[in-house]
Amino acid sequence: MGGSPGGPIDTGQHEVEDWERLADTISSALGAKGLQTTDEHRRAIESLEEYRDLSYYERWVAATEKLLVEKEILTRGEIDERAAEIGRRWGGP
Amino acid sequence: MSNHSHEEAGTGRTTSPYAARIRAIEALLLEKGVLTEPEVQDSIAYMEARSPANGAKLVARAWMEEDFEELLLSDAKSAARQLGMDPEHPAEFVVVKNTPEVHNLIVCTLCSCYPRAILGRPPDWYKSFNYRSRAVREPRAVMREFGFEPPEGVEVIVHDSTADVRYMVFPMRPPGTEGMNGEELAELVTRDSLVGVDVPRL
Amino acid sequence: MTFESGDRVRVLSSEKPGHVRTPGYLKGKAGKIETLIGEFPNPEELAYGFSGIPKRPLYKVGFLQADLWDDYEGPAEDHLYADVYEHWLEPAEGGSA
Repeated sequence: MGGSPGGPIDTGQHEVEDWERLADTISSALGAKGLQTTDEHRRAIESLEEYRDLSYYERWVAATEKLLVEKEILTRGEIDERAAEIGRRWGGP
Repeated sequence: MSNHSHEEAGTGRTTSPYAARIRAIEALLLEKGVLTEPEVQDSIAYMEARSPANGAKLVARAWMEEDFEELLLSDAKSAARQLGMDPEHPAEFVVVKNTPEVHNLIVCTLCSCYPRAILGRPPDWYKSFNYRSRAVREPRAVMREFGFEPPEGVEVIVHDSTADVRYMVFPMRPPGTEGMNGEELAELVTRDSLVGVDVPRL
Repeated sequence: MTFESGDRVRVLSSEKPGHVRTPGYLKGKAGKIETLIGEFPNPEELAYGFSGIPKRPLYKVGFLQADLWDDYEGPAEDHLYADVYEHWLEPAEGGSA
C-alpha cells in the first residue's frame, strides 16, 4: 500500500453510523477478553479477498466474523440466519 | 438483548449489509454469554471518553509548562495520566515535536493505527487508501491538499507506525497566543494538526 | 540486541507469507537505526493466536526519502521513519545519512 499511486484525499468526514460504532465496540470488547487480538484482527482484514471493495468498518466486521468462525465461537450459518432476521425486521425484502 | 440504541426498523435508509451482520454477531455473542452487557457498555464508554480534545489538552499544557513538555516528549503515557486520561494500551505512545527546522507527519500504511487510547477514532481520510499510499511517498503534496505548506528549509519527517508504537505530533505554538489560557490554547489544536497534515492557526 | 543507534542497516527483501509488519516499500532499502524502542511479542505469531514469545527487539529506523523513491519531489534532507523488527534487519555498509 505505502508508495502505491493514489488519488486526491477526500478530506470529508462521514457521520459514524451506529453499526460502525458497534463494530468498534465488539472488537474492543472481544479484545479486552483476549478473544480477538489486534494482530489477529489485522491478519484477518489483510486476508479478505474483498479488501479493496469494502469500507473500513465493513472490513472490520468481516474480519471479526472470520475470526469468530475460525475460533468456533460462532458459525457462519447462525450469523447468516440472524442477520437475515434482522434485515427482515428492518423492513427489508 | 442489549439496551443501547439500534437503528430503527423501516427508516428506509440504505445501509451496508454488514450492519445486520454486526448486529447479529452482537446478539449471538450476548446470548451465548461470550460477552456480557456490562462488557459491551464498558467498551462503548471507553471510546466515548476519547477524542482529539485529549490531544489538544496535552499540547496546550505542554505549551504553557516546559516541564510538562519534557514529560510529554519522554513519557507521553505518564503525561496523559497526569491530566486524568487513561492511556493504557499494549502499544507505546510517542509524541514527536515540530520545530522551526522539522515538521512531522504520521501515517500507518499497513492498516491505519492511530493513538486511539488518547484521541479516539481516526478521521476517515487517515484510513483512506489514498492517504496511506501517498503520505509516505509525497508527504508535501498531501499536506498541500489540506492547505498546509511548511516554510522554506523545513525538513518533513514521516513516521509510519508499522508496529507497536502510536504517534502524535506536538505542533508549534502559533505566534500571537501569548495571553491565552489553557482552554483558549487547546481550542487552537485541531485533530489534523495532531496528525501533522496541518498546523494550529489563530 | 544486535544493533545500536547510528548503525547502518538494510531491510530484508524476504517475501515470507503470512502477516508481517514490514511494508513492501521498505524491503531491500538501507537506513540508520535511530533507537531501540523495546521488545515486543512477535506480531507475525500473535496474528495466528500464538504467544509471540520470545519477544523481539523493535527499532525506529530512519531512511532518506530520496533513497526510498526515485521520484521524491521534496528536499534531500526529508526523512521517513518506520518501526522495524530486528529479524527484518541486517547490517549494511556505507551509504549516505
